[in-house]
Amino acid sequence: MSSSSANPPDPSPPALEITDLVKRYPTGVEALKGVSLEIADGEFFGLLGPNGAGKSTLIHCSTGLASPTSGEIRVFGHDAVGDYRQAREAVGLAPQELNIDWFLTVEETLDFHGGYFGMGKKDRKERVDELLESFSLVDKRNDRTRDLSGGMKRRVILARALMHRPRLLILDEPTAGVDVELRLELWHYVQQVNSEGTSILLTTHYLEEAEQLCSRIAFINGGEIVDHGSSDELAERFGVGSLEDAYLELVGRKELSRAHVGIEAEDGQ
Amino acid sequence: MSPSMVRLVSLTRREVSRFLKIPRQTVGAPLLETFLYISIFGAALGSRVGDLHGYEYIVFVVPGLIMMAFAINAFTNNSSSILQQKFQGAIDDQLSSPASPGQLLLAFTLGGFLRGLLISVVTFLVASLLIDLPVKHFYILIPALFLVGWFFASLGVLVGVRAEQFDDVSFAQTFILQPLIFLGGVFYSASLLPEPYETLTHFNPVYYMISLVRYGFLGVADISVWLSLALLTAATAALTFANYRMFKSGYKLRR
Ligand SMILES: Nc1ncnc2c1ncn2[C@@H]1O[C@H](COP(=O)(O)OP(=O)(O)OP(=O)(O)O)[C@@H](O)[C@H]1O
Ligand SMILES: [Mg+2]
Repeated sequence: MSSSSANPPDPSPPALEITDLVKRYPTGVEALKGVSLEIADGEFFGLLGPNGAGKSTLIHCSTGLASPTSGEIRVFGHDAVGDYRQAREAVGLAPQELNIDWFLTVEETLDFHGGYFGMGKKDRKERVDELLESFSLVDKRNDRTRDLSGGMKRRVILARALMHRPRLLILDEPTAGVDVELRLELWHYVQQVNSEGTSILLTTHYLEEAEQLCSRIAFINGGEIVDHGSSDELAERFGVGSLEDAYLELVGRKELSRAHVGIEAEDGQ
Repeated sequence: MSPSMVRLVSLTRREVSRFLKIPRQTVGAPLLETFLYISIFGAALGSRVGDLHGYEYIVFVVPGLIMMAFAINAFTNNSSSILQQKFQGAIDDQLSSPASPGQLLLAFTLGGFLRGLLISVVTFLVASLLIDLPVKHFYILIPALFLVGWFFASLGVLVGVRAEQFDDVSFAQTFILQPLIFLGGVFYSASLLPEPYETLTHFNPVYYMISLVRYGFLGVADISVWLSLALLTAATAALTFANYRMFKSGYKLRR
């Protein structure tokens, strides 16, 4: 008889569980049209799709920056709207735009963020030192963020997302506009963070990045999840050779495939 | 400190550090303004105006100046801080944190309130050095100044959240705030006005605020102190509640 465990507490709820999420902006744009998605605890998950597909909207709904029109979002089992405190405590967000206050120093940016998440002073200080070290920002510590280069600002945003040691890290196009070294540094860093148990949701327009890092990938287009699986599964399902070709099939632009371009075409046309 | 307390303190510290970083504007500008007002109204004009309610003109004006410093600084700090952070998107850092709507509102309101308080204290100290300013009813003065500061700090939050461009904030300041303050009787006693202006003045909320603050300092008032205090408390509470509703709904803050 299993009746004694009618409502067993889920041993490990998914890091992010989205059910039938709809988001309609006041402008009338329906950016998400009933999206369902599950990211397991510890997973490295990629969300790919063209500009305007709804990736950032999905992320904003999950972090309280946008209010869902309907549907449900749970972060480690906590309702993102009803139990927003627990839900948000678990998430670290590195948004697509460089949204830092120009008038704060790098250290203040991190320190205040830690404070918003309830970290004590000593803990904040230690964590700031640690992150400045990891992101090669030690000598920028007292610089105002507006005096930093674009790539440096990107580092600050990533460090800020990690400040409160989130269990789910959400990275919205973290490698847009960064140099080769930082991109690779970042790959190493997030892989390490993931191997230590942090779940990750990554959006990117670089397919090789998703291929390299993500154990599972979902394609989103026009506000709908159109397919998901591992990179190999996706390529296989579409009967094509690469994730990129699967992606192009999905967005209806297979004529752009590199297989048709002279440089990489071995099978010719 | 509990995590929730750390959160509130950090949110407030962020707002306070913003104006402490610019002491020239925060403390220097109001110091200069007070000095100028006192020179003009005390030395240049005062001798010709004569006494009001038994006080030298400059002494009559200074309580209004202190209140005005509190009000304008509380308002402008909050409206521009919030708008600037919305503009940069930096406010998303607070909005995606576990802070509750009440904590966010309290911290944003406190920022301007504390700036206004600091400046009105500085104005008071400077004025005390230059003129002989009595404090007749301390226990009316303190709640009166507190309410005035909170009212304008809250108004700054309201305007900052609703504003979409910097023009909106300066519009509110130039076309609403300053006329209300100047017509509320900072520089004169409303009882000296001819009709219909004297009656119209009674519809200006700032009139009650100035009367209260002036009563706290000088012990003279045109209208009932308790009625003014009750009206001001009600208006401040209503505004705070409206702001709370706005923060709770995420209006113009969350997409
Ligand atoms: N604040 C907003 N108000 C109204 N419409 C919006 C808002 N933000 C996004 N949209 C619209 O919602 C749709 C999805 O946008 P979103 O930013 O989620 O796309 P995205 O997948 O992140 O794109 P990108 O790859 O360019 O970052 C777009 O049509 C966009 O114009
Ligand atoms: Mg986006």
